[in-house]
Amino acid sequence: MATSALRLENVDAFYGDSHVLQNVSFELGEARMLGLLGRNGAGKSTCMNVGMGLLAARRGEVSVFGEAVTKLSPELIAARGVALVPQGRRIFRSLTVRENLLVAGRKPGAGSKHAPWTMDTVFAMFPRLKERTSQMAAHLSGGEQQMLAIGRALMGNPRVLLMDEPSEGLAPQIVAEVMATIRKLKESGLSIVLVEQNPNLVFDVADDIVILNTGGVAVVSTPAALRQDDALLRQHLGVF
Amino acid sequence: MNFWIVLTVNSITFGGLLFLLASGFSLIFGLMRIPNLTHGSLFMLGAYVGGSIVIGLFGFKLNFWLAAVLASLTVAALGALIERFLLRQLPGDQLAQVLVTLGISFMAADFCLMVWGGDPMSVATPEGLGGFARAGGAVFPLYRLAIIAIAVVVAVALWLLLDRTRLGAMIRAGVDDPDMARVVGIRVSQLFTIVFALGAGLAAFAGIIGGPILSVYPGLDQDMLPLALLVVIIGGAGSLLGSFVGSILVGFIYNFGQALLPELAYFVLFLPMLLVLLLRPQGLFGRHVP
Ligand SMILES: Nc1ncnc2c1ncn2[C@@H]1O[C@H](COP(=O)(O)OP(=O)(O)O)[C@@H](O)[C@H]1O
Ligand SMILES: [Mg+2]
Repeated sequence: MATSALRLENVDAFYGDSHVLQNVSFELGEARMLGLLGRNGAGKSTCMNVGMGLLAARRGEVSVFGEAVTKLSPELIAARGVALVPQGRRIFRSLTVRENLLVAGRKPGAGSKHAPWTMDTVFAMFPRLKERTSQMAAHLSGGEQQMLAIGRALMGNPRVLLMDEPSEGLAPQIVAEVMATIRKLKESGLSIVLVEQNPNLVFDVADDIVILNTGGVAVVSTPAALRQDDALLRQHLGVF
Repeated sequence: MNFWIVLTVNSITFGGLLFLLASGFSLIFGLMRIPNLTHGSLFMLGAYVGGSIVIGLFGFKLNFWLAAVLASLTVAALGALIERFLLRQLPGDQLAQVLVTLGISFMAADFCLMVWGGDPMSVATPEGLGGFARAGGAVFPLYRLAIIAIAVVVAVALWLLLDRTRLGAMIRAGVDDPDMARVVGIRVSQLFTIVFALGAGLAAFAGIIGGPILSVYPGLDQDMLPLALLVVIIGGAGSLLGSFVGSILVGFIYNFGQALLPELAYFVLFLPMLLVLLLRPQGLFGRHVP
């Protein structure tokens, strides 16, 4: 891997006194997709929070395209080109669809190779949102809220996209739509971390896999290798 | 008959003043999650500073409206300083922030007593508004009607700011989910300063506008603060509509309570607050705090 888009190095993180991440290291390559797997409570969301600056690593380093961001606040990390689609979507419920996108708008950083995301291009990707521009986000369906959360992240014109369980709580058909979107984003050259509990969703799209177990990195591998290793999957993820 | 009409107009007038005071208090509460206990002091300071400019106490005289604007801007700047240099130093520590605002309110009270003394300062009704309007046998003081009009104009302006601009959407996003607001790149700490200054300026404006009917005296701050708190608890923190409805409600309860049940005025005033807290803790128009 020539450049790493996002790198966590020996990260320890705490919620109060509880030591949640222990010596976590992994690396997301440029224009690649890293699948981050693990059981409920393994520390996946905590990794995303550390990457986004919502939770400061107590030890270790976080860097974005080689630049240390360990102690930076979320708004500064966002300005470095990282965007988060958080678990549970967390759209701004009392804002309209349009306002959710509006407040997240940011021009792409210098040297960006892609056509910038604007409200129009987001609506072109999610036509269903376009029909609901002035609706309050709280009134959207779960799938629409997820699309809005993705659209909102894209409005920041990120180089690195962190997606925390985007399929959670969605009907299978909507999951397929969301996964198709994620595949498109990857093809556009975006570097993506995709957090999921279901490995089969991730194996189809990811280049690299990291499995967390109780706050530490248990496995670093690839979809092809892991597909052959049911025992390992069962050990760290339970039954699938 | 006339008694009820007068009482009603007084209630709406007082509600309008409360709205000017409480809308900023509510925004600050909604965004920063702290009850700003300096809000009564900012109201009183606005009244003292504005009143002093009107009577030329600082060596220059301005007409009432210019004095009101200048006093509001001065207090808004003071608010920005308090936020930047005191509250900002205690990020995330809401208890400490509340205590700081409490400390500042005591200091401000002492400061006002030192500068303006213990005697009430009366503020003359602005020129041209000293008269009365007559309609169907009832008589309305023009100035009280003007206060109502001003409150409505400010309410509409605030609504346009919050509802129709990107800055307003950002503030609402910050009230909704401050962490996610930061994640999408909104500088929530800058919003804090802007909102705090805006709230301070509005409180000061309410103070000077209210001067001609309330006069200005030591203790005015502690008379007004609980009312702002009441409005926000009843209406819901961070909701402009909640502040508006809450202010009018409290204006009525306060005036009717004082007129009809003077010995129980505080009981009548705070009973609705208890009911709202018990039955709908987020306030009439507030959202559940996550
Ligand atoms: N805000 C929090 N405060 C305290 N503990 C937390 C908090 N969030 C998560 N945890 C704990 O940290 C561990 C990892 O959680 P998380 O990163 O959310 O796991 P995952 O996303 O893999 O399900 C869990 O044991 C969880 O209970
Ligand atoms: Mg999680």
